[in-house]
Amino acid sequence: MLSHSASNGDSRHAALASPPPLPPRRIGPRTAMILGFCALLGLMAFLYFDSIHTLNQLEAASARVRQQFLSRENTLRDVRFSLYESGNILREYALLNTDPATRDSYLRQLHELRGSANSTIEACLASLPHEQKPPFEKLADELSSYWLLAERIFVASPSAKTALSLPNLALAQHATVLSLTREVSTINEIDFREAEREISGAFAQTRHRIQVVGSVAFLLGVLLTASTILYVSRLEQHAREKYEESLRSERELKELSKRLVDAQEQERRAIARELHDQVGQSLTALLMDVQNISDASQPPPSFTDGLRKIKILAEECVAEVRNMALLLRPSMLDDLGLIAALQWQGREASRRYGLVVDIIDDHFADNLPEEHRTCVYRIVQEAIHNCVKHAHAHHLRVVVEDDSDRLILAIEDDGVGFDARRHRGMGFLGMHERVTRLGGVFQVDSAPGRGTRLHVELPLATPTRAEGVAS
Amino acid sequence: MKRLRVLLADDHSVMRSGLRALLERQQNLEVVGEADNGRDAVSLSSSLSPDVVVMDVAMPVLNGIEAAKSILKQTPSTCIVMLSMHSDESYVMRSLNAGARGYLLKDSAASELLSALDAVSRGKSFFSSAVRKLLAEDYIRVLRQKGIVDSYELLTAREREILQLLAEGKTNKEVASDLNISPYTVETHRGHILEKLGLHTPAELILYAVRKGIIH
Repeated sequence: MLSHSASNGDSRHAALASPPPLPPRRIGPRTAMILGFCALLGLMAFLYFDSIHTLNQLEAASARVRQQFLSRENTLRDVRFSLYESGNILREYALLNTDPATRDSYLRQLHELRGSANSTIEACLASLPHEQKPPFEKLADELSSYWLLAERIFVASPSAKTALSLPNLALAQHATVLSLTREVSTINEIDFREAEREISGAFAQTRHRIQVVGSVAFLLGVLLTASTILYVSRLEQHAREKYEESLRSERELKELSKRLVDAQEQERRAIARELHDQVGQSLTALLMDVQNISDASQPPPSFTDGLRKIKILAEECVAEVRNMALLLRPSMLDDLGLIAALQWQGREASRRYGLVVDIIDDHFADNLPEEHRTCVYRIVQEAIHNCVKHAHAHHLRVVVEDDSDRLILAIEDDGVGFDARRHRGMGFLGMHERVTRLGGVFQVDSAPGRGTRLHVELPLATPTRAEGVAS
Repeated sequence: MKRLRVLLADDHSVMRSGLRALLERQQNLEVVGEADNGRDAVSLSSSLSPDVVVMDVAMPVLNGIEAAKSILKQTPSTCIVMLSMHSDESYVMRSLNAGARGYLLKDSAASELLSALDAVSRGKSFFSSAVRKLLAEDYIRVLRQKGIVDSYELLTAREREILQLLAEGKTNKEVASDLNISPYTVETHRGHILEKLGLHTPAELILYAVRKGIIH
């Protein structure tokens, strides 16, 4: 009789597939990618600020060079102008007259020219960097020699003038200074070209740097994009695998629990049948034989006493066996249907524990498939157990209804209740499991002091209903 | 004196042989056949036409309750005594609905079978004493637990009298001649009784009488 449980026990292990090992935790790729993105952003920021800074610098340098060139050219032009003017003055003085009044006027003009030329050249000298000063200093020296000679022409006596041939010296010096200005101008131009070349060199360098940094940033970007796509797709695949795995294990668990519940029910039925049919019937037959013997003859009193004791013992055994069988699995669930079995259960609860159980079946056809019948029966059994054990209820109301496609079971007690959000005993888990297995909905509603309400809905597939209670 | 012809139907052979041994010691009884399932019981009772069929409730192929219905459809005069392991009223009710006249628990069959056969052959009902006790206790307990007034108190003396006679298995006509009133009056009383007690069928009326301890 225990062959049921053995065969079920074997298949139970098969369903318990060991879970696949968890993949090792990976921190590497994510950190690397964050670092990569930081580097890329840093590189781009560097490129931006560096370029702007360099361009500003170059612009400033270019402007400065141009400015210097122009100011030196202006200085040279001024110097040339003063030479030119002073030459005119000397020439006029030599050609026209030498009266003292006119001479003073010429000398004053010459002083003015000298002053303006000197101040220009000094300003220019002050603005020049150290290494560029020598040509201008030389120019300034020669120019001041020229001025000395020129002034001496006015102040020297005519004899001295002729003796020293001052005008010739002055003219020679004039020519020297003039050629010097040209030289300085050339140098100035060369300097300018040099500076221009340096600036364009700096430009080229900057361009090169931008090219290099830009290419590196681009390559890094491509690399990061590729690795990000790879990483994300791998994560996605991983998540999908996980999801499928959890679905599978949930399915397996359901299957497992279904087998467990089935096995339990089959086992109970087998034991109940065994107890009831074999042991019970044998004892009953024994009783009858005893009765026959005691009726048959005129046995001595001690013999009759012994028989009476055997009879009492056998009667007790029969009652006990019957109760055990009924509690395991009431045969009326199969013989008479669900409502008869529920009513019997209610009467038993009333007899044993004083619990009043009302079974209301006004809208119930009582032709459920075997699985549904067992499910409802076990749920009511568990509810009665809860009422007696925990809820200390006095009254339990069970409503069974069905329509074309579903069965509704509502159970309500007036017991002490409990916090349904926090506590869920094994009994509720078992009920929930049975209902879920049949695709139904199971709800528990309870609060301390407010009793407990169970609501069960089971879907009914119309074709299977034909195999309900065999009448 | 005519011997009572009995058919035994039970799927357990030890049970059948025990019953047979019990019955064969009686002069006024005769076991005419044995069946080990419901369908055989139906066909044997049609071929042997026994006076009484002693029928196990739970049998393979066709259970005792359905077999009883079939037999009574063929020969309504057959008396059927159900033999059961169950004292619960669900089985008693189904058996009565099927038309059985007696309901006997297997563990008291040895001591009560002869009384049961005697009662049903005289047109009366018979219930094992354990069943009567249980039903009566349940009835009283439910009244107490629910705090309901016993509807029996609503019946008049005449109605109680008629209830007892009907529950003993008598027809309206028999009751009428017993009480010297017209069958129509009996029918009127009967309607009132059923209404006051919230009953609907003859089976329920008999069950009620058993609960109340009106019939033994």
